[in-house]
Amino acid sequence: MTEEGADEGTDSGRPALADQRGVETVYQPAEDSDLLARTAAERVTSGDRVLDVGTGSGYVAATLAEAGAEAVGVDLSPLACREAAENGLPVVRGDLVSPFHENSFDLVAFNPPYLPTPAEAEWDDWMEHALSGGEDGRRLVDPFLAAVSRVLAPGGEALLLVSSLTDPDAVRAYARENGLGSEVLATEKHPYEELVVLRFSEI
Amino acid sequence: MKEDLMDIICCPLDKHDLDLDVAERDDEEILSGTLTCTECGERFPIEDGIPNLLPPDMREEAPA
Repeated sequence: MTEEGADEGTDSGRPALADQRGVETVYQPAEDSDLLARTAAERVTSGDRVLDVGTGSGYVAATLAEAGAEAVGVDLSPLACREAAENGLPVVRGDLVSPFHENSFDLVAFNPPYLPTPAEAEWDDWMEHALSGGEDGRRLVDPFLAAVSRVLAPGGEALLLVSSLTDPDAVRAYARENGLGSEVLATEKHPYEELVVLRFSEI
Repeated sequence: MKEDLMDIICCPLDKHDLDLDVAERDDEEILSGTLTCTECGERFPIEDGIPNLLPPDMREEAPA
Protein backbone atom coordinates (compact mmCIF):
# COMPACT_ATOMS: atom_id res chain seq x y z
CA MET A 1 0.00 0.00 0.00
CA THR A 2 2.98 2.31 0.14
CA GLU A 3 2.76 3.05 -3.53
CA GLU A 4 -0.78 4.34 -3.41
CA GLY A 5 0.22 7.90 -2.85
CA ALA A 6 3.05 8.00 -5.37
CA ASP A 7 1.03 9.51 -8.20
CA GLU A 8 -0.66 12.07 -5.97
CA GLY A 9 2.49 14.14 -6.01
CA THR A 10 3.01 15.15 -2.40
CA ASP A 11 6.44 15.45 -0.80
CA SER A 12 5.64 12.74 1.72
CA GLY A 13 4.90 10.25 -1.05
CA ARG A 14 1.39 9.84 0.27
CA PRO A 15 -1.86 11.52 -0.74
CA ALA A 16 -2.52 14.89 0.81
CA LEU A 17 -5.01 14.56 3.62
CA ALA A 18 -7.34 16.97 1.88
CA ASP A 19 -7.45 14.64 -1.11
CA GLN A 20 -8.57 11.78 1.07
CA ARG A 21 -11.04 13.63 3.22
CA GLY A 22 -14.55 12.77 2.15
CA VAL A 23 -13.26 10.06 -0.16
CA GLU A 24 -12.14 7.27 2.13
CA THR A 25 -12.36 7.53 5.88
CA VAL A 26 -12.10 3.82 6.70
CA TYR A 27 -9.05 1.83 5.58
CA GLN A 28 -10.14 -0.59 2.89
CA PRO A 29 -8.61 -4.05 2.51
CA ALA A 30 -5.40 -4.20 0.50
CA GLU A 31 -2.52 -6.67 0.06
CA ASP A 32 -1.62 -6.46 3.75
CA SER A 33 -5.10 -7.31 5.04
CA ASP A 34 -5.36 -10.07 2.48
CA LEU A 35 -2.06 -11.70 3.48
CA LEU A 36 -2.99 -11.56 7.16
CA ALA A 37 -6.49 -12.91 6.51
CA ARG A 38 -5.25 -15.80 4.36
CA THR A 39 -2.52 -16.74 6.83
CA ALA A 40 -4.86 -16.57 9.84
CA ALA A 41 -7.69 -18.45 8.11
CA GLU A 42 -5.42 -21.49 7.68
CA ARG A 43 -4.89 -21.61 11.43
CA VAL A 44 -8.42 -21.44 12.80
CA THR A 45 -10.74 -24.35 13.33
CA SER A 46 -14.49 -24.28 13.66
CA GLY A 47 -15.66 -22.61 16.84
CA ASP A 48 -12.36 -20.86 17.63
CA ARG A 49 -12.91 -17.47 19.22
CA VAL A 50 -10.88 -14.84 17.36
CA LEU A 51 -10.38 -11.10 17.63
CA ASP A 52 -9.51 -8.78 14.75
CA VAL A 53 -7.84 -5.69 16.20
CA GLY A 54 -8.17 -2.52 14.14
CA THR A 55 -10.77 -4.31 12.07
CA GLY A 56 -11.46 -1.38 9.71
CA SER A 57 -14.00 -2.55 7.18
CA GLY A 58 -14.05 -5.94 8.91
CA TYR A 59 -12.25 -7.82 6.14
CA VAL A 60 -9.98 -10.02 8.27
CA ALA A 61 -12.75 -10.80 10.75
CA ALA A 62 -15.13 -11.72 7.93
CA THR A 63 -12.54 -14.03 6.37
CA LEU A 64 -12.02 -15.79 9.71
CA ALA A 65 -15.79 -16.07 10.22
CA GLU A 66 -16.03 -17.75 6.81
CA ALA A 67 -13.35 -20.18 7.99
CA GLY A 68 -15.64 -21.17 10.87
CA ALA A 69 -14.35 -18.98 13.69
CA GLU A 70 -16.44 -16.88 15.99
CA ALA A 71 -14.90 -13.57 15.00
CA VAL A 72 -15.19 -10.24 16.78
CA GLY A 73 -13.74 -6.94 15.59
CA VAL A 74 -12.51 -3.98 17.60
CA ASP A 75 -11.60 -0.55 16.28
CA LEU A 76 -10.89 2.92 17.65
CA SER A 77 -12.69 4.64 14.79
CA PRO A 78 -16.47 5.05 15.03
CA LEU A 79 -16.61 5.05 11.22
CA ALA A 80 -14.80 1.73 11.01
CA CYS A 81 -17.06 0.24 13.71
CA ARG A 82 -20.14 1.29 11.77
CA GLU A 83 -18.82 -0.18 8.52
CA ALA A 84 -17.82 -3.48 10.13
CA ALA A 85 -21.23 -3.71 11.83
CA GLU A 86 -22.96 -3.04 8.50
CA ASN A 87 -20.94 -5.95 7.12
CA GLY A 88 -22.60 -8.14 9.74
CA LEU A 89 -19.72 -8.51 12.19
CA PRO A 90 -19.85 -8.30 15.96
CA VAL A 91 -17.82 -5.19 16.70
CA VAL A 92 -16.72 -3.24 19.75
CA ARG A 93 -15.37 0.30 19.78
CA GLY A 94 -12.26 0.18 21.91
CA ASP A 95 -8.52 0.62 22.28
CA LEU A 96 -6.60 -2.49 21.14
CA VAL A 97 -7.45 -5.43 23.44
CA SER A 98 -8.36 -3.35 26.51
CA PRO A 99 -12.15 -4.06 26.55
CA PHE A 100 -11.82 -7.86 26.57
CA HIS A 101 -11.58 -10.37 29.41
CA GLU A 102 -8.45 -12.40 29.97
CA ASN A 103 -8.18 -15.79 28.19
CA SER A 104 -10.90 -14.85 25.71
CA PHE A 105 -9.35 -15.66 22.33
CA ASP A 106 -7.68 -18.56 20.56
CA LEU A 107 -6.28 -16.17 17.97
CA VAL A 108 -5.84 -12.41 17.82
CA ALA A 109 -5.03 -10.81 14.46
CA PHE A 110 -3.77 -7.25 14.01
CA ASN A 111 -2.99 -5.35 10.83
CA PRO A 112 -1.72 -2.19 12.51
CA PRO A 113 -0.90 1.22 11.11
CA TYR A 114 2.77 0.52 10.42
CA LEU A 115 4.07 3.19 8.06
CA PRO A 116 6.82 5.26 9.66
CA THR A 117 5.66 8.86 9.50
CA PRO A 118 7.34 12.14 10.43
CA ALA A 119 5.76 13.61 13.54
CA GLU A 120 4.68 16.82 11.82
CA ALA A 121 2.64 14.86 9.27
CA GLU A 122 0.28 13.24 11.73
CA TRP A 123 -3.07 13.44 13.44
CA ASP A 124 -5.50 15.04 11.12
CA ASP A 125 -8.21 12.53 10.38
CA TRP A 126 -9.29 8.95 10.84
CA MET A 127 -7.55 7.73 7.69
CA GLU A 128 -4.29 9.22 8.91
CA HIS A 129 -4.80 7.34 12.15
CA ALA A 130 -5.40 4.12 10.22
CA LEU A 131 -2.15 4.44 8.24
CA SER A 132 0.41 6.13 10.43
CA GLY A 133 2.60 4.09 12.72
CA GLY A 134 4.48 7.04 14.20
CA GLU A 135 8.14 7.84 13.65
CA ASP A 136 9.32 4.23 13.95
CA GLY A 137 6.13 2.63 12.59
CA ARG A 138 5.50 0.92 15.91
CA ARG A 139 3.18 3.43 17.63
CA LEU A 140 0.47 0.78 18.12
CA VAL A 141 2.56 -2.35 17.56
CA ASP A 142 4.43 -2.00 20.86
CA PRO A 143 1.34 -1.36 23.06
CA PHE A 144 -0.38 -4.28 21.35
CA LEU A 145 2.51 -6.66 22.10
CA ALA A 146 2.62 -5.45 25.70
CA ALA A 147 -1.09 -6.16 26.19
CA VAL A 148 -2.10 -9.10 24.01
CA SER A 149 -1.00 -11.97 26.29
CA ARG A 150 -3.74 -11.15 28.78
CA VAL A 151 -6.56 -11.92 26.34
CA LEU A 152 -5.04 -15.06 24.77
CA ALA A 153 -6.53 -18.37 25.86
CA PRO A 154 -4.02 -21.04 26.93
CA GLY A 155 -2.18 -22.09 23.76
CA GLY A 156 -3.52 -19.05 21.95
CA GLU A 157 -1.57 -17.01 19.43
CA ALA A 158 -1.35 -13.49 18.08
CA LEU A 159 -0.74 -12.82 14.37
CA LEU A 160 0.68 -9.44 13.45
CA LEU A 161 1.19 -7.99 9.98
CA VAL A 162 4.23 -5.77 9.69
CA SER A 163 6.32 -4.42 6.84
CA SER A 164 10.06 -4.47 6.25
CA LEU A 165 9.69 -0.69 6.76
CA THR A 166 8.68 -1.39 10.37
CA ASP A 167 11.83 -3.39 11.27
CA PRO A 168 10.37 -6.83 12.07
CA ASP A 169 13.49 -7.80 14.05
CA ALA A 170 12.94 -4.89 16.43
CA VAL A 171 9.29 -5.88 16.75
CA ARG A 172 10.28 -9.44 17.66
CA ALA A 173 12.88 -8.24 20.17
CA TYR A 174 10.30 -6.05 21.89
CA ALA A 175 7.86 -8.97 22.00
CA ARG A 176 10.49 -11.18 23.64
CA GLU A 177 10.95 -8.55 26.36
CA ASN A 178 7.22 -8.98 26.97
CA GLY A 179 7.40 -12.76 27.26
CA LEU A 180 6.33 -13.59 23.73
CA GLY A 181 8.20 -15.94 21.42
CA SER A 182 7.81 -15.35 17.70
CA GLU A 183 8.17 -16.91 14.28
CA VAL A 184 7.66 -15.76 10.69
CA LEU A 185 4.57 -17.40 9.19
CA ALA A 186 4.40 -15.71 5.80
CA THR A 187 6.17 -13.12 3.67
CA GLU A 188 5.18 -11.35 0.49
CA LYS A 189 7.35 -9.04 -1.59
CA HIS A 190 5.98 -5.78 -2.96
CA PRO A 191 7.74 -3.01 -4.90
CA TYR A 192 8.67 -0.87 -1.88
CA GLU A 193 8.47 -3.29 1.02
CA GLU A 194 8.13 -6.86 2.14
CA LEU A 195 5.03 -7.74 4.13
CA VAL A 196 5.58 -10.17 7.01
CA VAL A 197 3.11 -12.06 9.17
CA LEU A 198 4.59 -12.73 12.60
CA ARG A 199 3.16 -15.25 15.05
CA PHE A 200 3.52 -14.62 18.78
CA SER A 201 2.80 -16.94 21.67
CA GLU A 202 3.77 -17.05 25.32
CA ILE A 203 7.21 -18.51 25.94
CA MET B 1 -24.57 -6.13 19.76
CA LYS B 2 -25.67 -9.65 20.51
CA GLU B 3 -26.01 -10.48 24.17
CA ASP B 4 -23.39 -13.25 24.06
CA LEU B 5 -20.74 -10.57 23.54
CA MET B 6 -21.15 -9.97 27.30
CA ASP B 7 -19.09 -13.15 27.85
CA ILE B 8 -15.91 -11.55 26.55
CA ILE B 9 -16.16 -7.79 27.10
CA CYS B 10 -15.07 -6.07 30.27
CA CYS B 11 -14.39 -2.63 31.70
CA PRO B 12 -11.35 -1.30 29.78
CA LEU B 13 -10.12 0.45 32.92
CA ASP B 14 -10.07 -2.26 35.59
CA LYS B 15 -11.09 -5.41 33.60
CA HIS B 16 -14.08 -6.18 35.83
CA ASP B 17 -17.47 -7.41 34.58
CA LEU B 18 -20.05 -5.08 33.12
CA ASP B 19 -23.76 -4.83 33.96
CA LEU B 20 -26.00 -4.54 30.92
CA ASP B 21 -28.93 -2.12 30.91
CA VAL B 22 -30.92 -2.46 27.67
CA ALA B 23 -32.78 0.60 26.38
CA GLU B 24 -33.79 -0.75 22.98
CA ARG B 25 -33.53 -4.14 21.28
CA ASP B 26 -34.87 -6.04 18.29
CA ASP B 27 -35.22 -9.81 17.77
CA GLU B 28 -31.48 -10.36 17.47
CA GLU B 29 -29.55 -7.52 19.00
CA ILE B 30 -29.29 -4.86 21.65
CA LEU B 31 -29.53 -1.56 19.79
CA SER B 32 -28.97 0.89 22.60
CA GLY B 33 -28.30 0.83 26.31
CA THR B 34 -25.61 1.22 28.90
CA LEU B 35 -22.81 -0.97 30.21
CA THR B 36 -21.78 -0.18 33.77
CA CYS B 37 -18.65 -1.51 35.46
CA THR B 38 -19.51 -3.59 38.50
CA GLU B 39 -16.35 -2.37 40.22
CA CYS B 40 -15.62 1.26 39.34
CA GLY B 41 -19.10 2.27 38.19
CA GLU B 42 -17.89 3.82 34.93
CA ARG B 43 -20.68 3.84 32.33
CA PHE B 44 -20.22 2.96 28.66
CA PRO B 45 -22.87 3.58 26.00
CA ILE B 46 -24.24 1.16 23.42
CA GLU B 47 -25.23 3.22 20.38
CA ASP B 48 -26.53 1.95 17.03
CA GLY B 49 -25.86 -1.56 18.31
CA ILE B 50 -22.16 -0.88 18.96
CA PRO B 51 -20.77 -0.85 22.49
CA ASN B 52 -18.34 2.02 23.02
CA LEU B 53 -15.77 0.67 25.44
CA LEU B 54 -13.16 3.35 24.91
CA PRO B 55 -11.78 4.78 28.12
CA PRO B 56 -13.64 8.06 28.86
CA ASP B 57 -10.61 10.19 27.96
CA MET B 58 -10.53 8.67 24.44
CA ARG B 59 -14.20 9.05 23.59
CA GLU B 60 -14.06 12.25 21.53
CA GLU B 61 -15.03 11.90 17.89
CA ALA B 62 -11.71 13.29 16.60
CA PRO B 63 -8.70 10.99 16.52
CA ALA B 64 -6.43 11.69 19.49
